[in-house]
Order: sequence, then C-alpha cells, then structure tokens
Amino acid sequence: MPPARTSISALPRGHEFQAATFTLSRDRVAAYLRAVGDANGYGDSVPPLAAVALGLNALQEAISLPEGSLHTGQEVEHSALLRAGEPLTLSGRIAQRSERQGFVISVIEFEIAGAGGAAVRARTTIMVPGAPA
Amino acid sequence: MNRDIAPVVRTITQEQLHAYADASGDHNPIHVDPEFASGTPFGGTIAHGMLVLALIGEMMFAAYGEAWSASGKMKVRFKAPTRPGDTVTASAQLSKESGGVAEYAVQCASQTGEVLIDGRASVAVPA
Repeated sequence: MPPARTSISALPRGHEFQAATFTLSRDRVAAYLRAVGDANGYGDSVPPLAAVALGLNALQEAISLPEGSLHTGQEVEHSALLRAGEPLTLSGRIAQRSERQGFVISVIEFEIAGAGGAAVRARTTIMVPGAPA
Repeated sequence: MNRDIAPVVRTITQEQLHAYADASGDHNPIHVDPEFASGTPFGGTIAHGMLVLALIGEMMFAAYGEAWSASGKMKVRFKAPTRPGDTVTASAQLSKESGGVAEYAVQCASQTGEVLIDGRASVAVPA
C-alpha cells in the first residue's frame, strides 16, 4: 500500500521533504519532449523544465494537491547540465505558506542535484482552496 | 551581436494534455477529464502550466543551446488558463544586457492576445 499523502496546504513553512533519488532515462526525456512538442536537439542533456516537471512529480508522491489547486508561479535557475541516465537527488521544503481570500498559498523550493552537484533550483507557487475564511 | 529570439507558436490540443499527463505523471482531472472539468469554474479542461511554460524553455534553448540549460534563469507568473484549441505564442524581448548576461521579458499569449504567462528570463552570453 502506498504511503498516505498529506495535502500541501497542511504542511507548515519549513517542512522538509524526504530527499528523493530518481533517474530520467533517455526514453522518459524523449516522451516529455514529444508531449510538449519540442523538436530541439538536446542530445543526452535533460531540458531543465523537464527536470522540474518530473521533479515535481516525485514530490507529489509525498503530497496531494486538492481539487481546485492552481499552479500560479514558477521560478527556475539552472547552473549545470543534467544528463539522461544520471542519478539525480531532489531535496525540497515549504519555503513560504500564507492564507489569503480562502486560499492557502504554498511555495515549494526544491533543488535537483546531479553527479556534479546542484544543477537546477526551483520555486513553485501553488494556491489551494480551503483556507479558513 | 543580435540577441533577437524567434517566437514559438503552437496550438494546444486535448491529446497533447493527455500525452503530457502521461509524460509528467500529472493526471489532475482539470487537465484530462473533460466531464469533471466542465463542472469547474474553468468550464472545461485547461493545459498544465508547465506544458505551456515549456514553450518558453524551447524558445530559449533554440536561441542559446546548452548555455540556456547550464546558466538560464526564469521567473514567471501564470496569468490565465490555456485551453485546448488555443494557439499560444511564446516570445521574448531583450530588456538588458550587461556583465555577460542577457535579460529578456518573456511571455506566452493566446490567439486573442490574452497574456497566459509573463515574466523574465536571463542567460549568460558569450562576449
């Protein structure tokens, strides 16, 4: 049975996610590029936004996004190339949490590191309905 | 050096939303279940924000290649939903270049001119 997931809106500022390790295979990167329609030649490098999207997916194994959740902002900073097949480590935390007009606004800050260290840093802002009025 | 960046134009389809859901693992019904989505304030399915944002990543990589992947920065807000059938144009306007870094105002807009995503992007450039 998979572990129970916690709604992101219930997580306090400072909550640290358990570090996750994952690998983006060439096939998975190719499926991502087909889905977004990107025909650029990336060779064996991983597009940074693919790493972010698939990293968010790894985080979503630990959290749930209630119905009506909205992804309202995204920051991404890349500092090194990631290669397909390279073991990656994702670490993240809730950097901000606030309540406004019936929504909980959470900012997830996370970092993806490859063999050479941190390569992608991202901040994802999500609004979840259901905050106390 | 010319820092102009060619826009990327693409029509978003429901099939693409399904493909992106499979590729990313994000199967939120607001993206892939038209019946569910019809009962939400959006009135129908909407594209994943990261799918639309990928047009900006594609545009920047086309202009700068691995320099983008190794040194790029981007900060955006999702301003409005993108729906299947929308034709999205991702574009960039150079706003500043100094210290070996080119900064752009970036956006995605619909066929009606509605701004879907806007923000800033920067990349280290060769001297």
